[in-house]
Amino acid sequence: MSTPLEGRRIALIGNPNTGKTSLFNTLTGMRQRVGNYSGVTVEKKTGTWLLPNGHEVELIDLPGTYSLSAISLDERVAVDVITGHGMGEKEPDLVIVVVDVENLRRNLFLASQASELGVPIVIALNCWDVAEKKGLQIDCKLLEQRFGVPVVPTVAKRKSGTDGLAKAVEKAIETKPVMARPQWPEPVQKAIRTLKEEFITKRGEALREGELQRLIFDRKSAVCERLKTPPQEYQPIIDAVRDQLYKDGYQPDAAESTLRFRFLNPLLNDVLERQAAMKKRSTSESIDQLLLHKFWGLLVFVSMMYVVFQSVYTWAGPIMDLIEGVVGWVQGIASDALVATPMLQSLVADGIIGGVGAFLVFLPQILVLFFFISLLEASGYMARAAFLMDKLFQWCGLNGKSFVPLLTSFACAIPGIMATRTINDNKARLITILVAPLMSCSARLPVYLLLIGAFIEPQYGPNVAGATLFAMHFVGAFVAAPFAWVLNKTVNKGRKPTPFVMELPHYRVPQVKLVFYRMFESGKEFVVRAGTVIFAMTIIIWALLYFPRSETIESEITEQYIQEITGSENPEPTDIQWTPEAEAELSKRIDATYLEQSYMGRFGKFVQPVFAPAGYDWKITVGVLASFPAREIIISTLGITYALGGEVDEESDDLRSTLSNTKWESGPRKGEPVFNIPVALSIMVFFALCMQCGATLAVIAKELSWWWATGSFVALTSLAWIAAVIVYQVGMWLV
Amino acid sequence: MRLNEIKKGGLFRVKNLNCCNDCVSRLMSMGLLPDQEIRLAHEAPLGDPIAVEFNGCHISVRLEDAAHVEVEPI
Repeated sequence: MSTPLEGRRIALIGNPNTGKTSLFNTLTGMRQRVGNYSGVTVEKKTGTWLLPNGHEVELIDLPGTYSLSAISLDERVAVDVITGHGMGEKEPDLVIVVVDVENLRRNLFLASQASELGVPIVIALNCWDVAEKKGLQIDCKLLEQRFGVPVVPTVAKRKSGTDGLAKAVEKAIETKPVMARPQWPEPVQKAIRTLKEEFITKRGEALREGELQRLIFDRKSAVCERLKTPPQEYQPIIDAVRDQLYKDGYQPDAAESTLRFRFLNPLLNDVLERQAAMKKRSTSESIDQLLLHKFWGLLVFVSMMYVVFQSVYTWAGPIMDLIEGVVGWVQGIASDALVATPMLQSLVADGIIGGVGAFLVFLPQILVLFFFISLLEASGYMARAAFLMDKLFQWCGLNGKSFVPLLTSFACAIPGIMATRTINDNKARLITILVAPLMSCSARLPVYLLLIGAFIEPQYGPNVAGATLFAMHFVGAFVAAPFAWVLNKTVNKGRKPTPFVMELPHYRVPQVKLVFYRMFESGKEFVVRAGTVIFAMTIIIWALLYFPRSETIESEITEQYIQEITGSENPEPTDIQWTPEAEAELSKRIDATYLEQSYMGRFGKFVQPVFAPAGYDWKITVGVLASFPAREIIISTLGITYALGGEVDEESDDLRSTLSNTKWESGPRKGEPVFNIPVALSIMVFFALCMQCGATLAVIAKELSWWWATGSFVALTSLAWIAAVIVYQVGMWLV
Repeated sequence: MRLNEIKKGGLFRVKNLNCCNDCVSRLMSMGLLPDQEIRLAHEAPLGDPIAVEFNGCHISVRLEDAAHVEVEPI
């Protein structure tokens, strides 16, 4: 028997907040794939829907849109996929329009637009339970009759109605029902005829009537970008048609909404029955009286954000420590097992296991943050948060939705950048991603603590030290504001921002299952997509710090050390007592020399002149370079270069006193201390602004592209260098 | 009067929309058309944006965009 359903593709489309994604999750279960549409940052979700009869169909979850007028990228992607132009894949065999019962009219507008593109339609009336509770009754049979397509009531959360939906879909794939369309007035029909003649007959473009409508009704239609006809040729044709329509009494930009709603209104008569009169004020509005209040609303907002921030900043800490502990423990076991082969030992322990640890350590923060983000989004509060904060971000091209990602970035830019997915405006999302690394993340804290503890506190006391630490946290944000403004003015100048028209959806009780699902999805995606890159970077940096490893270094340093201790030119090996302290000291010195001789050490010495205007010697330069994969590495690198061992931390008195006592060995400032206040400040400012985080780069590359990742790396590094030089030079002039 | 000037408590009717604005196009496809009744539901703490209610839904609009919608009190 033939299986007419195998290999079929079905697209899900609907307004935002209709429960479309919830329905998608219910239908596909865990059989989903998430990716990006090629070239754009719109999330692409596909999954497999196992129908009750055992057939499998491919389900595509399109971005939530109100219209197909292609003002935003989301809408454009939706049109492209429905017409079969998305990613070179064939068009879907059927489109399920997910309709929120409470906003029937507005939702059917989208269904009506979609049907013009010539695909069979099935309507899923979602949130049926809510409607029933509110006393809304919808006559499905009447709706089916009037629109000529199957209408199935569903409750996505409870799986109810999915069998009915499956049956309707199976049948509709065969019968290809066409939804009733508006009878356009003569001027519009004339415009369609003209375009048909010009583009299809004369120029052989493959366009459907629905696409011709888009060319007429949309001011700058995305369909244009697909035309083979050059712009200088097609633009006059479209302009002429729109001008004619205007002369005939239909303003082209307004014509579609006016005419389509005029067509829909009579068809919805008697379909909607309200058993009880709708309450004057909905529950959501009463909640909003409090949550959007000038004082109480802000108080609730601040408390909620405090909880979110604390959870990422502090509560994820113990789990991160645990991961680091386990990684360290595994490293220890591997080191012991491979002690006979030093290179393999270092590769496995520092490179491979260290590399796995380097991305695993971000996982707790990502999971915790996405738990809260899913809660906030599913409950409907996220839109309110954006509403409250929008004014603060308007002037630099961002909007209220940038708040949560940027706040999170103060804990860690990785989850922060991933959280920008909640921003629908692509330009705002791009700018938010690019400024997120400037927020002072927790990995910068050890650097600040070390330098403030070693230089600021002894000289100026704890108050100034505290103030400096506080100020350092805002250096990045202070620079980020004008940076965002400049980006908004320069980057993607041609691309208009998506209009910030946002629905405040009804509050809903989040579904626990979906909240956890989303949380694990984001964690998995991070590990799969960014984890591999972070791992690779760690291995590369490990190699640069390890090689070349000359055989003679160990014996040379040992000889030097024995000479130093015994004070004789030709000591006998028996002259020295090998106490554990002496052995440890020797091995630290050997490590320091290895680092100095490594590619990274040599490179640090080579580029030290670049950092000289900021007051850095070669050891600081190596520290800065070695910490490009992760900022906190500078502490252990400084520990190794100063022969204190890699285990020092920012509280280490050894490290602090060694830094204060280090003197220039050569050059114009020979004998002067390397570290003074301007140098310490200059290093801190450099760390505040520089993109020293391989994981952030990997995430930017995955969310945007490697092009953007490289660009932001270069931009932020230059910015950091300039600021560090200014701080040092001005500081030296003042001192 | 314009949509950015409306006060809480009153009910208004849309008279005219400047459909050359992208936000207005979006509002129109959400069903905001001439003769539609509309009211102010909430104001953000900093005065901008505002949330308006029409057809039973609450939509957040920035003041600069709301200025493109002409309304009259009912």
